Amino acid sequence: MAIDEVQICRYLRLYGRAPGAALAERIKAMRKAADAAIRPARVWRRFEGLSAAGGAGSQSLAKHLAGCHAVYLVCATIGVAFDALQRRTAAKSPSDAFVLQAIGAAAIEALMDETELDIRRELPVGETLVSRYSPGYGDYPLAEQRRLLSVLDAPRSVGVSLTDALVMVPSKSVSAVIGAKKDQSA
Amino acid sequence: MNTAADDFFSGERLVFLDGGMGTQLQAKGLRPGETPELWNLSRPGDVRAVHEAYFAAGADAVYANTFGANPAKYHGDAPLADAIAAGIGIAREAAGKAGGRRFVALDVGPTGRLLKPSGDFEFDAAYDAFAEQVRAGAAAGADFVAIETMGDTYELKAAVLAAKENSSLPVLATVALGNDGKLLTGASVECVAALLEGLRVDAIGLNCGFGPDRMLEYVKRLADATSLPIAVKPNAGMPRMVGGRTVFDVGPGEFARDVAALADAGASIVGGCCGTTPEHIAAVHAALAGRTSLIRRNRLGEAAPPKHRTVVTSGSRVVEIPFGDTIIIGERINPTGKKKLREALSSGDVAYVLREAVAQADAGAHILDVNTGVPGLDEPAVLDATIQAVQSVTDLPLQIDTSDPKALERALRHYNGKALVNSVNGKEESLSAVLPLVAKYGGAVVALTLDETGIPPTAEGRLAIARKIIARGAEHGLKPSDFVVDVLCLAVSADAQSANTILDALGRVRDELGCRTCLGVSNISFGLPARPLINASFYTMALARGLSAGIVNPLAADMMTAYRAYRALTARDAACGEWIESYKGWTPDSRQPQAVGGRSAAGGRDSQPDAQGSRIADSIRHGLKTDAASAARDALAGGAAPLDVVNAEIVPALETVGRGFESGTVFLPQLLMAAEAAGAAFEVVRSAMPAQDAGSVKGPVIIATVKGDIHDIGKNICRALLENYGFKVVDLGRDVAPETVVAAAKRENARLVGLSALMTTTVGAMEETVKLVHEQLPGCKVTVGGAVLTEDYAAKIGADSYSKDAMGLVRYAEKLFS
Repeated sequence: MAIDEVQICRYLRLYGRAPGAALAERIKAMRKAADAAIRPARVWRRFEGLSAAGGAGSQSLAKHLAGCHAVYLVCATIGVAFDALQRRTAAKSPSDAFVLQAIGAAAIEALMDETELDIRRELPVGETLVSRYSPGYGDYPLAEQRRLLSVLDAPRSVGVSLTDALVMVPSKSVSAVIGAKKDQSA
Repeated sequence: MNTAADDFFSGERLVFLDGGMGTQLQAKGLRPGETPELWNLSRPGDVRAVHEAYFAAGADAVYANTFGANPAKYHGDAPLADAIAAGIGIAREAAGKAGGRRFVALDVGPTGRLLKPSGDFEFDAAYDAFAEQVRAGAAAGADFVAIETMGDTYELKAAVLAAKENSSLPVLATVALGNDGKLLTGASVECVAALLEGLRVDAIGLNCGFGPDRMLEYVKRLADATSLPIAVKPNAGMPRMVGGRTVFDVGPGEFARDVAALADAGASIVGGCCGTTPEHIAAVHAALAGRTSLIRRNRLGEAAPPKHRTVVTSGSRVVEIPFGDTIIIGERINPTGKKKLREALSSGDVAYVLREAVAQADAGAHILDVNTGVPGLDEPAVLDATIQAVQSVTDLPLQIDTSDPKALERALRHYNGKALVNSVNGKEESLSAVLPLVAKYGGAVVALTLDETGIPPTAEGRLAIARKIIARGAEHGLKPSDFVVDVLCLAVSADAQSANTILDALGRVRDELGCRTCLGVSNISFGLPARPLINASFYTMALARGLSAGIVNPLAADMMTAYRAYRALTARDAACGEWIESYKGWTPDSRQPQAVGGRSAAGGRDSQPDAQGSRIADSIRHGLKTDAASAARDALAGGAAPLDVVNAEIVPALETVGRGFESGTVFLPQLLMAAEAAGAAFEVVRSAMPAQDAGSVKGPVIIATVKGDIHDIGKNICRALLENYGFKVVDLGRDVAPETVVAAAKRENARLVGLSALMTTTVGAMEETVKLVHEQLPGCKVTVGGAVLTEDYAAKIGADSYSKDAMGLVRYAEKLFS
């Protein structure tokens, strides 16, 4: 999993500017610390039909999956050790903690991109994927996280669970629905 | 019962367990996300058939279909107790049908929730969930409790305590290792073994995770770490997803061959987990049934011997208190004589304590002492909260330091791992209060050599008390290796023989009692000038007499030098590696060894200051912490007045950066780095200031992330900026209840509370907090911020102001306190 420096700078809200020498050095140091703490894990499952995605009547999900005949439910995380590193770092230096969380955000995005590529590889011939969609987008209720993680047995398979407030933990985790449809260009 | 306990967990015979249940039910049509335990009521025949097949394959015991039957995870229309009772009943029927000595375990899997600090689930809530499951299972007639697939030592501890406190059944506990050979939360098998031995389970082991071949290495390590019987339930290889289905590749023959190797390595309780079938168990039975005794016993000619190590753990790290080497117990989290720490503990300022913890860990401590004894404080509550907070930022094991048995029990119970208890002494009151707690929760305990008559003046007298304590410990099942003897350090200025007595006693404790030792080294110099110098010399002398653990200040350069020099000079520091690493940049001028290996900003900028500013201002603008501090030190050395340095250099430099941020030319990371650099410079200056000047701070500002929200990056940024703009900040941490915020604001007479929330789902808690503050503290303003908030929304929930970012909060606070 390669973490893109440009993405890190995006999460640092540098608005396209170069980080400058001192910040670049902190990014380098925090990347090294993150590398030792990140333990990526992911799980996905294909379901024929769209019902596995649930949605509780979500219009935006229905629109997003229009034309799809199957869905992949996906969950990925960079692991709980990263959160421990984040807490430790925050106790010392808020700026390092800020840099670290940007690295974590870029890392989980990279892991999801990689996962999507792996799913594409096993996709039946003649099918294509639509983009990822997650509970909390549009009117797809956040509460549907429960269904997604339960179906994937996520606490056991990847160590991802939900808090009472429906926050995924470890903090750098992503769940998503990816629709599969006939590839019209084929 | 308990017939199972007689030989099942003796480690003297092989015991066969069943194989996978979930994967068998899936093969019978259980859908993903469906609650398996409901089948106990709706499809009992299918569940029974699985048990029957395993008994027929040779299993002595099966796990009832109750893996997820805890109230945190279970969701179904039928009452939980009914699903558990039915599950046990079905397994019982199958056992009866099979005939002979067959047993049924209550299967206890994880809650599916992540415990604090990474999650939001309380230890007590996990305990309650397991307790309900155990009571139902015991009532339904389970023969033993099988806790399995645990990936977090903290949850594991909750489950074991629940099993032991809510039933009299034997407990077998197994954990699931990840691909890296560790639990999800980072614990090694040695860490798990220390915890579970301390909690006195009947057998320990591994299940799930991977196949039997990869388990071999870890079973060997377990056998080395524990004398308890070892259980294994591997998967039929690593799971693979094929076309949306999970497949396991290891067939019965290969599985049985690999499990036999696990038995050779010391496992005496064998079965299978995901993907294993009755055929797998039958093959294992066929391969091993002929064996009457274990290799582990045969090879040694006796039962596996108890291990006489003194080991403490955190949730993920094992630390041995050694013979023949020495470790450091960091002493700084102790309010005695530390005004700032006392204030932080009194006001609930968690952040201050956390900084102390991390600083000591970074400086090389192996264990941290935590003492929160401040007169007037609710010590049980404060110690408990402090221990949990410290464990959230360090993986070092802790030494729980209190003389209040209530505080000790609560802290020991909520401690993640096997703690070092400080302390028990020879007084009857102490012996009868402390030893049972150590026996129950596991741990090593510091034995202070004093009793009702005081501290004996001679080494012989102190040894006699240590002997008494150890003998009393034996009555509770504690071994000499569970004690770390503190022969007590008295000031040499008061008793000229003090050091001699201590040194004599140190050697004798090791040789005559077979116990490790610890010592609060710096007490030796009370009443003398130049204390650090004499402390370091005495420390070296104690090390030479075999001191196992010095309770010292790891931030004191002289002490760390004594420690590292001793280890380098006595061949304990391989190739002087640690010495070289620590002092490679040393020059005769190096005053602070930490700075040698510390953060260096070399290359971060040109060494010449910018044209428009001084070195201090320049370092702050560039966010260079060490440079800013050393520039401030040089300015003071050059004769600058402390207040001038603050008002003419530090404040304007930070102000420039702050304005840059507001106008969009400086970005958040640079602002933060500048604030930290300013803080480092200010810290240097403050120590040179007369007390009344240094005390001129604004505030206080109470800040917290609201209940239910565990994201605290934004809040931490606010704290950093506020502090460096000269405000006193009381940081209550994250997931903070409204009542806690109000209580802190009242105590501090605060005029401003800052609240942060990141999730839409926690804005409700924010609104509640705002309301409560306004109700109870009419004069106190509340400002709110966070990703999901807007100016309008802040007004809607009744907040006095909306801070769009940390700088906004600083500006609001400046206005309020001007």
